[in-house]
Amino acid sequence: MKNKQFTFTLVLLSLLLVLGISSHALGETYKIGLSLAITGPTSDVGVPYSKGVEDYCKYVNDEKLLGDDKLECFIRDDGYKTEVTKRNLEDFLDENIVFYLNYSTGSTLALRPDFEEEKIPVLPASFHIGNLVDSNYIFLPISSYSSQAVGLAEYVVANHEGSGKPKVAMFLHPSAFGRASRDDVEKAIAAGLGIDLVEVVEHGKDLDNTAMLKRFQSKGVQYVISHTVQPPVATMLKGAQSLGMAASKYGEAGKITFLGAHYSGGPDLIGLAGSAAEGFIWTTSYKIMTAKGPGTDAQFALAKRYGRDESVANSQNYTNGIMVVQVAVETMRRAKAKGKKVTRASLYDELLTMNGYNAFYPLTTVGPVTFSKTDREGVDTLQLYVVKGGVFHEQGLPFASEYMKKMQQ
Amino acid sequence: MAENRWLATGNFFTSYRAEQRIFLTHIDRLIFVCFLVLLFAWPLVFEVSNKYMLVIDSILIAIVAVYGLNLLTGFGGLISIGHAAFMGVGAYTLATFSRILGSDHVLLTHFWPLMILLAGGVGAVFGAVVGLPALRLKHLYLVIATLSFQMIFQWVINFSKFLNQGQTIAIGRVFWFAGKVARKEHYFFWYYVILIIVVILGFAVRNLLRTRYGRCLVAVRDNDRAADAMGMHPGFTKVYAFALSGFFAGVAGALHAYLWRGVGFESFTLHHSISYLAMAIVGGLGTLVGSFFGPAAILMLELQVENFAELVGHYITAVGDVATAFRPLSFGLVIVLFLMFEPRGIANWWRIARTYFKLWPFRY
Repeated sequence: MKNKQFTFTLVLLSLLLVLGISSHALGETYKIGLSLAITGPTSDVGVPYSKGVEDYCKYVNDEKLLGDDKLECFIRDDGYKTEVTKRNLEDFLDENIVFYLNYSTGSTLALRPDFEEEKIPVLPASFHIGNLVDSNYIFLPISSYSSQAVGLAEYVVANHEGSGKPKVAMFLHPSAFGRASRDDVEKAIAAGLGIDLVEVVEHGKDLDNTAMLKRFQSKGVQYVISHTVQPPVATMLKGAQSLGMAASKYGEAGKITFLGAHYSGGPDLIGLAGSAAEGFIWTTSYKIMTAKGPGTDAQFALAKRYGRDESVANSQNYTNGIMVVQVAVETMRRAKAKGKKVTRASLYDELLTMNGYNAFYPLTTVGPVTFSKTDREGVDTLQLYVVKGGVFHEQGLPFASEYMKKMQQ
Repeated sequence: MAENRWLATGNFFTSYRAEQRIFLTHIDRLIFVCFLVLLFAWPLVFEVSNKYMLVIDSILIAIVAVYGLNLLTGFGGLISIGHAAFMGVGAYTLATFSRILGSDHVLLTHFWPLMILLAGGVGAVFGAVVGLPALRLKHLYLVIATLSFQMIFQWVINFSKFLNQGQTIAIGRVFWFAGKVARKEHYFFWYYVILIIVVILGFAVRNLLRTRYGRCLVAVRDNDRAADAMGMHPGFTKVYAFALSGFFAGVAGALHAYLWRGVGFESFTLHHSISYLAMAIVGGLGTLVGSFFGPAAILMLELQVENFAELVGHYITAVGDVATAFRPLSFGLVIVLFLMFEPRGIANWWRIARTYFKLWPFRY
C-alpha cells in the first residue's frame, strides 16, 4: 500500500515538474503595438515601415532573440487619421502592450496625455522636436527634423564657395511640424549661423513650381532646404530641371542646389523625380542599401528571408521599421539580463540608461542609439547622401548639428 | 369613434393639439421608455472594450451634431458644408480656455457642463454670423458661403500660434461627485453624459418642431415667399436656423474635446463636414429619427471598411493603392445609392417597419 502511495506521489510530482518545466519553456509573450498608415496619405512610407516591423518581429521569434519568450506585434492601419490611431491604441492597451510604436506627428501629439497616463514608452515615426515637449515617454528614434534642417544649413555654410553669406530658401510641409524646423533654423541664424534665409515656402498641392522657382532665382537663392514628403520635392526638382535652374554640381554659381531632410528624400524620390534628382543632397540617420556594410547586408537578408520585393528591401522606411523594433527588443533583452520582469516601467528604465557604454548599436543607423532623461533623440548623428548616377551615395562622415547642441544647452 | 391611446391603427386626430403629441400612442411611449432603459442599462451588464466604447461615444456625439445639421438642412432647407467648422468653434472655445488658463483649470475640469453650454453658445453666435449671407443668398451660393467659413476656419487654426497651429491642445480630465474621472471609467462616464445630452436635445428638437418657430423652418424651406406672405420672417428664420445649428454643433464640438481629451484641427476638416452631411442624408433629411440612424450607419460602415481596407492593405502593395480607395469608394457609393433608391433615408425604412407592425396582422 505504502509503495503504491509512494509511486502515486512520485508520478504526481513528476507530472507537476514536467508541467512546470514545460510552462517555463513556453516562456512569456511580450506585446508591442504599431498603428500607422498602411492606406491613405503617406501609405507609400507606411507600407515598407510596417513590413520592417513585421519582418523583424518574425525574425526575433524565429531566431529566438528573446530566448523562450515571444514577441507579439500588433500592426494596425489608421489611414493617417488620428481618430483611428486613438482607437487602435485603446485596442492595444486592452491587449496589455509593453511598448508602443506610433507613426504620424498629429497622432503622436494628440495621444501624448495617454502615453503619460499609461506610462508606456513610445517610438514614433515622426521626428518632430515638439513631440518631446511636455512628454516623458516619447523617444525619437533619430535626430529631429530641426536637427536635420539646421545640420543641412551648417553644411551649406561650411561648403559654400562664393562670396558673402549663402542665400537659402526653405521648402516646408504646410503644418506646425514643417514650421518647427524653420523656427529652429531662424534661431540658429540668430545664434550666429551664417546664412541668409531669403524665403520660406509652405507648399500646396501644386503640380508646377515655375513661379516659385523663378522667384527664387530673382532673389538670388542658391540653396533650397526641403523638409516635407517626397512628392512635392520631386515636383520642384523636375521644375528646376526643366527650367535649367538645377545645379549640376554642389553650389554651382547662378544655379540652385537642393537639399532635404529625412522624409524629403530616399530611393523613392529618385523613382518620382528621375534624372531631376541628380545632385540632390539628403540627410538621415539611417543607413541606406547603397551604402554597403553589415547593417545593410542584414537588412537585405531579412527582406529576402521574408520574401519582400526590391522596392521594400531598399526603402529607408523599411530600415526605420526594423530599427524601432530593434530598440524595443534590445530594451527587453537588457531588462531580462538584469533579472527584471519585462514591463512598461522596466523598458522605460532601460531606455533611459541606453547611453555611454550602454549605447545601442543597431547597425541599421549611422551612429549609436542613445537615450537619457535629458536626451530623447536616439541617433544623434546624421549622414549626408547625394544622388549620383541615379543612386544615393554616402558623402563624408556622419555629423551632428553643432548649433542644435548650442541651442539645447 | 372613441380614441384608443394604446392601439391606433389609423389617424384619428380630433384637434391640432392631438396631432402634435410627442407620442401618438401609449405603446409608443412604453417602447421609448423601454428603449431608454436599455440604453442606460446595457453598459452595466455587458463588458465592452474601450475601443468600442470610443466608437459608441463618437456615434452619440455625431448624433448631437446631426441634430443641428438636420434642423438647418433637413427642416430649414439650407445646405451647409461647414458643419465641422461649427463643431470646431465649440471645441476651440474649450481649447482657448485651456491655452489661457491651463488644461487642468477648474473651469474646464469641474464646471464642464457650463463649458459645454458655453461652447454651444459660441457656436450659436458663429452660426448666426455665418447665417447672415442667407438673407441674400440661396441654394448653391449659400453652400459656397458655408464652404468659405470652413476654409477660413481651417486657415485660421492652421496658422494661429495661439491655437497651436492645429496641433492638439490638451483638455484635462473632468471631475464628478466621486472625484476625478479616471482613465478606466472615462468612456463609460462620457457615454452616460452624452446619452443624457442626446435625450435632452432630442426632446428639444421634437418640441421645437411642434412650436411655430419649428413650423416656420419647414414653411420657409418649402416656399419662403409664401411663408413671408403668411406673416413669417424668412430672413430671421434662416439666421436663427444657422444659430440653432451652430449651437448643436458647438455642444458636439465641446463633447468631442472632452471625450478625446484634446482639440486638434484634424477632427474638423471639410471631409468631416461632408461626412456629417452624408449622415443626415443617409439617416433621412427632415426627420428626427434620421439623426440617430445616419451617424450610426456611417460610422459603423467606416469601421467595417477600415477593417476590410486594412486586410486588403496587408496583401496588396501600396503601388496600386487599392486598399486606400475602399474608403472613399464605399462612402461615395453608399450616398449615391441612397440618393438614387432611398432619398428619404433609413428613417423611411423605420417608418415602413412601424406601419407594418401597426397594421399587423393586416398587410401593409
